Amino acid sequence: MGRPLAGVRIADFTVHAAGPFCTHMLSQLGAECIKIESAQRPDIFRKPHPVYGRMGPASFDQVASNKLSIRINLKHPKGTALARRLVAVSDIAAESFRPGVLARLGLGYESLRAAKADIILLSVSSSGQSGPDSHFSGYAPLFGAWGGLGTLTGFADGPPVEMRHVMDHTVGLNAALAAVAALHRRRATGEGQHVDVAAREVAASLIGEALLLAAAGGTPSRMGNDHPRMAPHGAYPAKGEDRWITIAVGSDAEWRALAQAIGAPQLARDPRFATEAGRHEHRAELDRIVARWTATLPGDAAMAVLQAAGVPAHVSWTAGDIVADPHLRARRAIVDVDEPDGRRRAAVGVPIRLSKGEAIGIARGTPSLGEHEDYVFGELLGLTRAERRELEDDGVIH
Amino acid sequence: MATNAPLAGRRVVVSASGVAAAYAGRLLRVLGAETILIEPPGGTALRREPPFLGRSGVSALFACMAAGARSFVCDLETERGRVGADALLGTSDIFIDDTPPAERERRGIDQAGIAGRHRHLVHVSVLPFGAAGPKAGWKAEEINLLHASGEGNLLPNGLSHELFPGRPPVKIYGNFASLQGGIAAALGGLAALWDHAAVGGQFVDIATQDAAVAVGAFAVQRFGDGSVEHRATRSFRYGGVLPCADGHVEVLTLEDHQWKALVELMERPAWALDPVLDDPLERSRRGADINARVRDWTRSRRVADLVARGQTLGVPIAKYNSPAEILADPHEQARGLFAPVAIDGVGSLAMLIAPFHFGGQPLALDRGPPALGEYQERMPPVRAAPVLAAGV
Repeated sequence: MGRPLAGVRIADFTVHAAGPFCTHMLSQLGAECIKIESAQRPDIFRKPHPVYGRMGPASFDQVASNKLSIRINLKHPKGTALARRLVAVSDIAAESFRPGVLARLGLGYESLRAAKADIILLSVSSSGQSGPDSHFSGYAPLFGAWGGLGTLTGFADGPPVEMRHVMDHTVGLNAALAAVAALHRRRATGEGQHVDVAAREVAASLIGEALLLAAAGGTPSRMGNDHPRMAPHGAYPAKGEDRWITIAVGSDAEWRALAQAIGAPQLARDPRFATEAGRHEHRAELDRIVARWTATLPGDAAMAVLQAAGVPAHVSWTAGDIVADPHLRARRAIVDVDEPDGRRRAAVGVPIRLSKGEAIGIARGTPSLGEHEDYVFGELLGLTRAERRELEDDGVIH
Repeated sequence: MATNAPLAGRRVVVSASGVAAAYAGRLLRVLGAETILIEPPGGTALRREPPFLGRSGVSALFACMAAGARSFVCDLETERGRVGADALLGTSDIFIDDTPPAERERRGIDQAGIAGRHRHLVHVSVLPFGAAGPKAGWKAEEINLLHASGEGNLLPNGLSHELFPGRPPVKIYGNFASLQGGIAAALGGLAALWDHAAVGGQFVDIATQDAAVAVGAFAVQRFGDGSVEHRATRSFRYGGVLPCADGHVEVLTLEDHQWKALVELMERPAWALDPVLDDPLERSRRGADINARVRDWTRSRRVADLVARGQTLGVPIAKYNSPAEILADPHEQARGLFAPVAIDGVGSLAMLIAPFHFGGQPLALDRGPPALGEYQERMPPVRAAPVLAAGV
């Protein structure tokens, strides 16, 4: 028994974050993912770039892990021909160019179908392959703006909040789902499909209930850490510099347990807080009460007390907390990856655990540019050494 | 279902009191599977979860999560109910469940029990911290999971943090982390089903925390690279959320040509033409000064004008849309992002279908949320087998 997507091959033309995260997830599930770049146009995230004011490594290592790397110059006619040969032995071609670019390169869906009749073309873009804004360029913060998620996030008296890379990766996770769904359809019908994932629509899909409220005439708006039903509900200060603990009380039983746990059982008898509606009405007062207690304890200690009492609570974690967590390590949600240069780094695994088959996850680190050409061009496509040398001399494999 | 729906012919049973499991079912439904929600006699707790649609008492959240599904009431605390669930599961491909681990065996839906009776079934467990690991029994709501995954600690950033530096971190609107759990559950279920011929049914263990950690991957990678992200500093030094005369826009210029396009958009002000700003690192160093000038400039401009001209020039720029604006957006209408669905007690409302097209077409959503138990009549009468009724 292998990994579930073993035998599925992806010709991966995606760049940046959203598309590569999609194919990275699929590769962790067992798909063979061949990443196509060139020396002239490497994935922009492969090279250092200004990140928050400093020149540093981008975010390439995580999403490039597990992938095979080859070079093809897609601006060269022989390059697109070579790419079509790769697609002809693939199940999925994935791309994240602006709509229209792939077709201009001679690699549009019909062209790829001519190479492989049942190919699944997975396109990930800012605004989708159709519609008046399809030519718009964008990144994660723009997706969150267009799709309303950024608009609705923030303090009630403040501005919208910029969504960051979690937005890209949510697009990628949706795209991975769509790709596997398309594989199922191909198995059932023998037909490939062009799958079109629009990042701004992914952002909108995360505020479905707000969109429905608006459709009914409502005006959903930013509400900070408030919840429409629960109170106490929020991020409260813990002992220490910039440490916080989140608490959410979702029932009368949890409220009574909280009151007991924080050493204030009389609160459970306070008529203002006796019902969920009452607690919600008086949530500002409750927030002050809870914050007074949380500020006296390290977050971990408060979390332990509350979880033991059956109250949903968790410390507001930084990346350092996450990387060190035994639970996430035990689940392989966080793993260590050994890079070819000897570095060892933490990475996220695939957020799925299966009871059968070979272990899924990251098997190897970041490929160097063109590292796997012997396998892909040689074994897979059957090019001879001389043919490869000629293509290199022509600037096709470059 | 639409002819382009990839999962036509598949059947999924969902037992969900939370968003993550329900959303997994919703995704598989819109992808073409028949989805049946099994509910306790009073209905799933999601039916009572605000926000509500006007004074109808209908949960907008439930309506979104259960649209297109069937509802079958079976009380898993009774033998009859468990037998009814088994009858459904016997004809299904995937079972998605978020019942707390301690209650599963009693309800007959524990891993071993399901595997023993339904060897063909892909059994997807969706829990806040998963079914295995030291925290498997822990409780969490959305805000806890968002912070357990790290993203909660990193917001707000940019303009919001500048305005309110002393406030606690702010959560992402709605159910962001839980929805990640749902997407991962749908993906895990389909991946396991893909492998069905080789391994048969199996148990798929999804933790919403894992899924939310996964989409926060770059914070983990950058930690390994030696930098700890913080909401106070996790923002590009210029651009971001920009106030306008009638709303906000988002601008992000990662590449030199995009910066030059922004300069064009601002009609080439003298300060922006300083050659020193040709260096992207220098622009970052002077980001606060640049942003003060850019904000001064945008503050008197209208959003629609900026976005139209900016995108034409090649500036990555977007409007911060309200939900009503998204509903009315010509782009989304052209792409068929919304479909009218009937909601009992409310009427017909536009509902988002799914964020992907197949074969050049949007998917279909042909029904709103189900009335409680509306599927009951379609099922043959369920009788407890004598040996089971005896309590074995």
